[in-house]
This record gives sequence, C-alpha cells and structure tokens, in this order.
Amino acid sequence: MVERQSPLTPIFRPAVHSNDVGSISITLSEVTPLSIVEAACWPGLNERLTAAIQEVTGLSVDTTPNAGVVGRGTAAFSIGPDRYLVSGEEDLSARLARVLSEETGTVTDLSHGRTTFRVSGTRAEWVLSKLFAIDFSPAVFPVGEGRATAHHDIFAQIQRSDAAQFDLYVFRSFARAFWNTLCTAAEEVGYEVIEA
Amino acid sequence: MTARRTSSGGLIERSRTIGFTFDGRSYTGHSGDTLASALVANGVTLVGRSFKYHRPRGIFTASVDEPNALVTILKDGVREPNIPATQIELFEGLEAESQNRFPSLEFDLGALNQLAGRLFSAGFYYKTFMGPVIGPLRGTRFWMICEHFIRRAAGLGRAGYKPDPARYERMNAFCDVLIVGAGPAGLMAAEAAMSSGKRVILAEQEPHLGGSARWSGEMIGGKAAADWSQDLARRIDASENVRILTRTTAWGYYDGNNIAALERVTDHLADAPKGAPRHRNWAIRADTVVLATGAFERPIVFPGNDRPGVMLAGATERYAREFGVLPGEKIALFTNNDSAYRAAAALRQFGATIMAIIDVRAKISPAARALAEEAGVEPLLGFAVTATVGRRLTKVLVRRFDAETERLSGDARPIEADCLAVSGGWSPAIHLASQAGRNPKWDEELCAFLPPEPTQAWAGAGAFTGAVTTAEALSTGRNAGLKAAGKKLSRAKLPEVTAPNLDIHPASVFEIKGNGKAFVDFQHDVTVEDVRLAHREGFVSVEHLKRYTTLGMATDQGKTSNVPGLAIMADARGLPIRDVGTTRFRPPFSPVSIGALAAEKYGHFKPDRLTPMHDWHVEHGARMMNVGLWHRPMIYGQPGETVEQAYTREAATVRRSVGIVDVSTLGKIAVKGPDAAVFLDRVYTNQFSTLPINKARYGLMLRKDGIALDDGTTWRLGEHDFLMTTTTANAGRVMQHLEYVLDVVWPDLKVHLTSVTDQWAGAALAGPNARKVLETCVAGSAVDNEALPFMGLVYGEIDRAPVLVCRLSFSGELAYEVYCGAGHGKHVWEALITAGEPHGIAPYGMEALGALRIEKGHVTGAEIDGRTTARDLYLDWMLSKKKPFIGSALMDRPGLIEKTRLRLVGVISLDGRPLGGGAHIVESGDLNELGESIGHITAFCYSPALAQYIGLALVKGGKELHGKRAYISDPLRKHFGPVQIVSHHFFDPEGKRMHG
Amino acid sequence: MLIPCPHCGPREVSEFSYQGDATRTCPELTSTDVKAWYDYVYNRPNPAGPHREYWQHSGGCRAHLIVTRDTRTHEIHDVAFARAALNRAGEQA
Ligand SMILES: [Zn+2]
Repeated sequence: MVERQSPLTPIFRPAVHSNDVGSISITLSEVTPLSIVEAACWPGLNERLTAAIQEVTGLSVDTTPNAGVVGRGTAAFSIGPDRYLVSGEEDLSARLARVLSEETGTVTDLSHGRTTFRVSGTRAEWVLSKLFAIDFSPAVFPVGEGRATAHHDIFAQIQRSDAAQFDLYVFRSFARAFWNTLCTAAEEVGYEVIEA
Repeated sequence: MTARRTSSGGLIERSRTIGFTFDGRSYTGHSGDTLASALVANGVTLVGRSFKYHRPRGIFTASVDEPNALVTILKDGVREPNIPATQIELFEGLEAESQNRFPSLEFDLGALNQLAGRLFSAGFYYKTFMGPVIGPLRGTRFWMICEHFIRRAAGLGRAGYKPDPARYERMNAFCDVLIVGAGPAGLMAAEAAMSSGKRVILAEQEPHLGGSARWSGEMIGGKAAADWSQDLARRIDASENVRILTRTTAWGYYDGNNIAALERVTDHLADAPKGAPRHRNWAIRADTVVLATGAFERPIVFPGNDRPGVMLAGATERYAREFGVLPGEKIALFTNNDSAYRAAAALRQFGATIMAIIDVRAKISPAARALAEEAGVEPLLGFAVTATVGRRLTKVLVRRFDAETERLSGDARPIEADCLAVSGGWSPAIHLASQAGRNPKWDEELCAFLPPEPTQAWAGAGAFTGAVTTAEALSTGRNAGLKAAGKKLSRAKLPEVTAPNLDIHPASVFEIKGNGKAFVDFQHDVTVEDVRLAHREGFVSVEHLKRYTTLGMATDQGKTSNVPGLAIMADARGLPIRDVGTTRFRPPFSPVSIGALAAEKYGHFKPDRLTPMHDWHVEHGARMMNVGLWHRPMIYGQPGETVEQAYTREAATVRRSVGIVDVSTLGKIAVKGPDAAVFLDRVYTNQFSTLPINKARYGLMLRKDGIALDDGTTWRLGEHDFLMTTTTANAGRVMQHLEYVLDVVWPDLKVHLTSVTDQWAGAALAGPNARKVLETCVAGSAVDNEALPFMGLVYGEIDRAPVLVCRLSFSGELAYEVYCGAGHGKHVWEALITAGEPHGIAPYGMEALGALRIEKGHVTGAEIDGRTTARDLYLDWMLSKKKPFIGSALMDRPGLIEKTRLRLVGVISLDGRPLGGGAHIVESGDLNELGESIGHITAFCYSPALAQYIGLALVKGGKELHGKRAYISDPLRKHFGPVQIVSHHFFDPEGKRMHG
Repeated sequence: MLIPCPHCGPREVSEFSYQGDATRTCPELTSTDVKAWYDYVYNRPNPAGPHREYWQHSGGCRAHLIVTRDTRTHEIHDVAFARAALNRAGEQA
C-alpha cells in the first residue's frame, strides 16, 4: 500500500509560534485516522446503526442529536439526523459495511476526503470561537459530542475529543486554506504546531 | 487661550507624560487622557472645520456623541479619518490631523462657503440634480460642473490610498446575560447577575468601567463614586463567570438576541502586540440583555451655538473631574435644567471663574441654588443666550426670556466668557433598544424619548430608563441583573448615594430664536433654518425631514441633534413633539471599521480549494486560474510561449499522442441505497436503472421548470451503489438539488447522498496513445478494448495505489479517467506521467481542455446557462420517453419549443481573428444597419485540429442556419467580422476516435 | 436571524439555504396537469405573516427543515425535519 499524502505536505512544519509575551496557549496538529467513514441509516433505525458502530468499534454512541464518544484510536459522533462520522482502524469501512445490512443503512468511505485537525490547549475554545458561530463551552458542548457547522465556505464537522481538545474534520481540498486560517487565528494566543 | 490642565485632581496619571502631535505640532498629555482632553489641556480648542460651511469648530462633548472634533489618525503610514478626538486614547507618538481645511485649520479657504450659504441649504443635492432649466446649466450638467468644487469643499476626512496593514477579527460569544454599559447601573447589574453563576458579559465602550461614577463627584457606599466603581469593577473582574469587554461598543441589536459589538483592541497602543487584531467584531448571542447605556446630554439651539468654546455642560464637568482639565478660565453656563449647576460647582472647585449661570427657567430647586452659591454666582433666571461673540468665544449675549411663551425681551447684555457650558436636558441612549423594540415613547417630563416596549429579551437599567438619580441607577441596575439571571429580587440594602438633590427634568425649551445661524446638526451643518425650509417645502414626516436635510445622518448619527431637530420640526408644524414622532435608530450605534466587518476575510475573500496534484502543477510551471474556489492549471507554458501557443501545443499533443489533465475538481456524489436506481431515473432525463454494474452513462438533469441543470457521467459500482459526477461549477448546486428532492419530494425513498468530491483524485488521460500508457502502468486488470470498452470501468492498481479506471471521453479521443484516493492523487499522477513519457505525454490545462471540447461541440456551463433546454442544445436524444423525470412535465411548454429559441451551433471566424466570449451575432454586414442580435458566442478558441478560430454559439434557429454567413459584433473588443455558422460537431463528428 | 435546527440547535441564518415555499406540493412526476405544475413551480401567495418554508441546514447537518416563519418579524413559530414530517403526512394520507 502507498502512504496517504497529507494536503499540508509542503507547508506543515512543527514549530513554536509564541505570541507577544512569549506564551503558547494551544497546539495544532493534523491527526490522520486510518479510516474516516460516514455511516447512515434509514429513518427510525438509529438504534441498529449505533449497535453496528458498537460492534465494529466498541464505541457506544447515543442516538440523540449531536451525541458522540471517543475511544482509543477511534471515535464516532452524530453529524446529522441518522448520520454518524466514525474514525478508526484501517478497514473500518469494509467492516462496518459487513455488519450494516442494506435494510439498515449505508457506509461511505471518506478516509481520503476529509482532513482532521486537532486543536488543543487552554485557549482552544477562544481560537475556534473566532471561526465558528457555535458555543464551545463545555457545559453546552461536552466531551464526545459533535457539531456540523461552517466557516464561510469551509464546512466542518467538529468533535470535542477531550476537555480542552477539538478534532475538526474538513474537506481535504480546503485543508490547506483552513490550516492557514487556523494558524492566523492562533497567533494572538501563541501556538505550537506538533506532529500528531 | 485659557483652557488648561488643573494643578491636581482627575483620574489621569500625572506622573506619566505622553508626547503626541496634532497638525504637526508637538504636545504632551498624560496617561488616561483622550486626545480631546489633552488638546483642551494644551489650550487647543479649534479642532476642525465644519462639513459644508467650513466654520471653525471646537470640541463639544467628552464622549462618543462628539459631532465636531473628528480627526484623522496617521498610523503605520495609514490614514484613518473621522475618528472623534473624544474616543482616542493618548499613546506615545500619536499623530493626529484636523480635517476639512485647506490650506490650514487657522486659515481655511473653504470658509468662503459661508458666503454661499444659500447654495448649501436643505435639499441642495436634490435641487441641483433636479435643477431648473437655465440654458447650458441644466440640472445634471450644472451638477457636473459643481462636482469638482463640491467634492473638495464639502466632506469630512480624507481616506488614504495605502492598504491597511492591521488585522481584524470576528469573535462569536454566547452568554446568559449581556450587560451593555458599565456605569453605576451596569456595574450593579453585573454584580447581581454574576452571583447566580450564569455566564455574564459586560461591555463598555470606554476604556474604564464606572461611567458617570468616574466624574459625578458623588459619594456611593461611603466612598467617592469613582473609587466605589473601581472597587466594584475589580470584584466583577475577579469573578470567573464574567467576561469584561472594555473599549467595546455594542453597535447593533439583531434578531435572536444577537448583539454586534466592536472591540477596539489595539487602537490605544503605540505598537500592536503580535497577532492581536486591531478591532474585534463580537457577535454575542445572549439569553437576556441588560441595556444600561445611560443618557446623552443635549444642547439648546441658539444663534452662534457652534462657536469654539461652546460645550456641553456635562462634558465640561467630566473634563474637570476625570481628566483634570478646565475648558476655560471664565466659564458661563446656559441651561434649562438643574444638571448644569453641578458642573458649575465642579468647574469652580477646579479653579475656573463662573461668570454666569443663565437659566431659561424662572425658578430652580434649592439644591441648584446651593450649588450656584458654591460656584460663587447668582443665577440669571428667566434669561437666555441669544448670541456668541469672538473667533473663539469671548463673550455671550443674553436677554430676558419667558420659558412659557418663549419670548425674548429687554436689551442684550454681554457676559464675558471663554467657555459656554450648555445643558438642554438628557436623552436616554435608546439606540439599541429601538432596534429591538416598538416605537420609543415621548416623555413630557423628561422632554425625551424613553425606551420602547421590547420585542426581544432585554431589560433596561439606569439613566437609559429615564431614571435621573444614581440611587435609582443602583436599584434598577441590581433588579435588572437579578431578573436577567433568573433570580428573585433582593431586599438587601443598596449602597447609599450622597448627591445633591437636583431636578434634571428640563423646561421644555429647545431653541432660542434669534438672528444668525443656529445649528441643529453640527456634523452635517444643518441649521434651524434648514429644518424650517424643509417644512415650508412640504417635508412633514420626520423620515422625510431627515433625508431631505440630512439631519442626524452624519457619522455621529445625530446623538446631540435628534431631539432638538424634532422639537423644531414640531414647532414649525404647530404640533406637540409626541405627535411628530422620531426616526428609528439603525445600526451601527457608532461607526464600525469595514475591516472589522470583513474580519478574517480581509485580503482573501474566498478560501483556495486545491486538488491533490496542485503542488505538481505549480512545480511544473502551470499558470493557475480560479474556477469557482478551485485553483486549476490554465496552461503549462513553456518559455517564450503565449497562452494560445501553449494550449494549442497541449491540445495538439492530445490529438496526436496523449495528454493528461487533472479532473479532481469534478463534483462527485455517492448515491447509495435500495432505491438509488429509481432515484436516478427520476432525476436524470435518461435511464439509469438499466445501466449494468461496472458501466458508466452520460446523464442530463433538468430543473423542475424544464431548463437544463447539469450534465455528467454516473457509474454503477454495485446494484445499489452509484458514483455520480457533476460539472465542477455545479457540484454544490446539484448536491443541494438532489438532497432537496430526496428530503422534500420523495421522502420515502431509501437513498443516501454523500459528497465524495474530495475523496477521489481524478486524472483524464486522452489521446490515441492513452491505452498504451495505461497498459504499462495499470496492474491487476487488463485495459484492452474487451476488458475496458467505451463507458466501461475496471479496478486495478497504479504503482501500488488502488485505482478505478473508467473509459469515457470529453476530448473526443480515446480517453480514460483514472480515479484514486485523494491522498494517492499526486503519486498516481506522477506514475501516469512517467508511463506517458515514451509517448511525449503533455499535461494540459483548462484552455486546452476547452479547445478540445469546443472542437467536439460538448456543452458545459457556458451553454447550460440556466436558460437553455435540452432541445436547445440538441440533447433531445437524452430525453427518455419511457419514464417521467424532473422537468419532463414543463420542458415542452410552448415558450420552450418556439422556433426563435437560441440553439447551439458552431461558428468559424472568417477573418482569421479570434472570436470573443459574449460577442453578439448579427445577420447584416453593414455596420450602420446591424439589425437585431440573433445570438451570442458562448465559447471560443483556436482549434489546432481545424487550424482556425472557432467557437460555440447560441443563435436563433440553430441548425437551420448551418452553412450561413453572419457577423460577430463585439464593440467592446473592437471586433466586427464575418463568421460561418456550422454544426457544433467540428471534429470527428462520428466519434470514431474515441471508440477506437 | 436564528433558525433552531432540531438536530443542531439554534444557528445563524448564514448556515442555512432558503429552499422555497413549503405550502406547495410537487405533483406526481407522471402528472401532465400543466396547471398543477405551473402552480407548483411558479405561483406563490407571498403572505405578510406566518409562512411555511423549506430551509436546508446546508452549513450544518444538511437536513431540510419546514420552518414556519413570520415574514414581517422573522419570528419562527415552528421547525421540523421536512423528511420526517412529510413521511408522516404520507402515511396518514
Ligand atoms: Zn442542523
């Protein structure tokens, strides 16, 4: 197999970009899940879909809107009615397709089509609030949950993967533009680009 | 000049001296000064020239309501005009310039405009545009003659030409309670709300919290009000659940309790910290808003009221108490209410001599009398100011005045004064409220508009509500804060307020009628006479009055002029003010930088969308072009080549051997589910349910109204699994169209749609040697005609990367599209290039792609332009008669099948010159008798295959014109020349090459 | 203007695309009743007041919503998923 190339290849450089007072409040990285998959079911079959996700990934996702859960090297969250974004092992799409019958729903592989950025640190909420009109506070957006939103033309699916950490899934073709936007927004608080 | 810094007092840091320049002269001020306070402290009271008449103007207020003292700031080589000096915090090296004067502020040629006063009266612009017919000076022509002169003479500051190096940002915030204004009421509201643990944002436009407490001279809770406010501000700041935003003006109140607020992050700093935006535009969504925006003092209108030295009384008090600055040595006050008496006492306390308190009222409160005594003056009751004297104020003239009848009597009496402090009462700052409420209510007692009934979730507090005392501000503030936080009202004792028991309810006097120009709106130079003239000319509605006179339409939005203007209009109409009504205040409350609105879009409006092979293209000399958001290669030019030479070479290589083009931008939609085939049959004009697995079909979609929407090939990957491609331009639109019909028209269908545009990289390999290239690099599958027939597809690997190869052709050559995971895109592309090297493979760009498709007569967005039908494009063969589809019901209505419709043809240039996109086609070759356009060119190129300039066109009659001669008329590009109309299938019409 | 998406919660209108009048029903594709088609495609009452309309949460969960919005005030009285609501209506019919 050939390695998947990152859309950031020529511009990605691990480096420290401290702000005026020399501090670093967030880290930015590209995480590369081996698989990113969209799993969707027909109306009313949410329970069966989440059961299939659990069978394959071990993640127990609620059927409520925005629900999500983060596991070891795998994660799943709701991105719309009857639709989930699941990330994890290499052959996730094939394995999900095996357990998800056509009567329940469909699976679409997006491993190449989405790029995942991780924003973590004390000022992650502050920096993301510059770009997205959603409430990032933990009381409203708890760990595990997902949101589908947009920064102007750039569509983003966001999961809070830890108390001060967000994973942003964006369309690959926008990845470089969005990365630059993210770095610019982070300059004020100081940031470090790290290898995932 | 007698304005000066007092020897002590104020909240400035006297130990820190700051140097700045104004009109090139150096001055000093202190930390805590505004430019306005520092100028006054330096005796500079003439700060600008007025908008129309170039009258000298001085600083009039101490806050955001300033109409006169607009200056231009020069920073980092950039000019920022029209900033009120009252809103500029002093920093070391600040450079400011006065405006609207030539050659200098002291000697201004534009002041001659005053002699032409009649020319600039109300409705000047309208009258000039519509002007009477006087020979050659007819309306518009007169305007054009005047324009040069007027543009130079009238106006405010001058913007610069250099790009603004500052950065701007947007910030989204969410809270339970937003408090606008951090005066005593706002602070109390914040304290009350924060104790609930709710998320609170406190926004204050000034640099410090405290509002009037900073300069009222009152005592709150046993401390000086300024100290009380600082202590409380510290407590609030220490609370984890409160975010304090200073230098932040809430400027718009929008639906859904969304408040727009502008934070001036670095304007007060000599050097902006790295990464910090200059302005941050906050979009705050609050469950509840507490408006504690205070009140604005307003002037009384009288002749000569705009002379430098005339200032609002509250402003003089604020300059003295907050900045330790006296705006004059010999100060007179003119008022219709008690509040000026406190100012008088304060100014006296700081060392000024109070020359007189001129009060239109016959009686005043005991508290006012006591303050007059403190000020050392016996008030002139039942008097009014009727004129002012001096280039800068030297004296005022007063006469007896009856507030009931508004009649003047007796002789004018001069009073020496270098500053006249005026108070005409207080108007609640209801601007935001009126954006989120019904009509403001006129209050006869306060002679002001009170906040309207809310239409959104806000409550008021403090002077904003019409409350006149600080004690009321504290109680209404706390109540509003508790209520907003969902808490019960408290009975705990409020901090005690020690303040003179003043009655700020004014006498209902807004104007002193007399001789000489009396200004209502200083910033737009609107006089009392302008308002009366507007009334005489029939403008009675306040909305019309405003637009006709431009009253209140300047950058200060009429903060000082609104109520006096209405009062004068009411007087002219003989109506009470209540019945005249008011205009609705619109956002922004105060000017907002355009940069802040553009925020991170500054400098690049749209994000770049890049294909996986982007870097290869750039490295190999591609000239990139924008196609929607995408960046695509236009040509891969070689040294010395023109664009036409480059694409001609690329296209010729395709026809001769083989070329490769990046088609990753094509829209791709995964269509999956048991009803996928049924769904496609309904959305495409042709049938897809009959398409075998591992085959592709070219499809056409119509809109509901029968007009063509998009075309593309769709591949059947499995029984219930299709991969649809759309044109690059329409990808988003088609996806939305499909999602719509699935959600809304056939919600029962079991189909899922997912955009996989970015999942797949695509490369089209075209030319007679295309198969040979594939044969050398594709593993795991044969690619010969049998294994991979036209419109067939196979799975394989190229250099270890999984690929999907489909045989289809846009160029008319033997051609394939190779798809792979986007992350393998560059890898596979490079492998294809290597495999193609023995055949001299040429990467080709959009220009060659266009030339190849024009030669074949294939349509794209230029022909599927939202007006054409399938029949117009001779795609009738794709309209299935076996089944209905979207658009089938309306596609044959009479208007869409008329003979005169524009239909697709080919066009050959007969004069050897290129055709022009959009050029019209006419039948007549006589330039003087062109007749009507019979159509237009949609696309054109130099055709290497035909060695001619050719194009596609939509013309009336279409096919029937084949063989006819016509002319293109392209006056914009200065081209008129003969063309031949032919079939749009220029090249290999039978399609032998692609089936080979 | 905010639209309370039943999946995502209240979001700015800029995340949504207006997708037309929801009081009209698409005729069966087999229908040749031209008047019915004209009414569906072109005729709109344009009321001043509450109006049922489709909005797609295109910058979010992508679902189409049926939004009852007062055209004078932007007040939103009711929001539902279009697909679920229409399927329910379809079953009842
Ligand atoms: Zn949504």
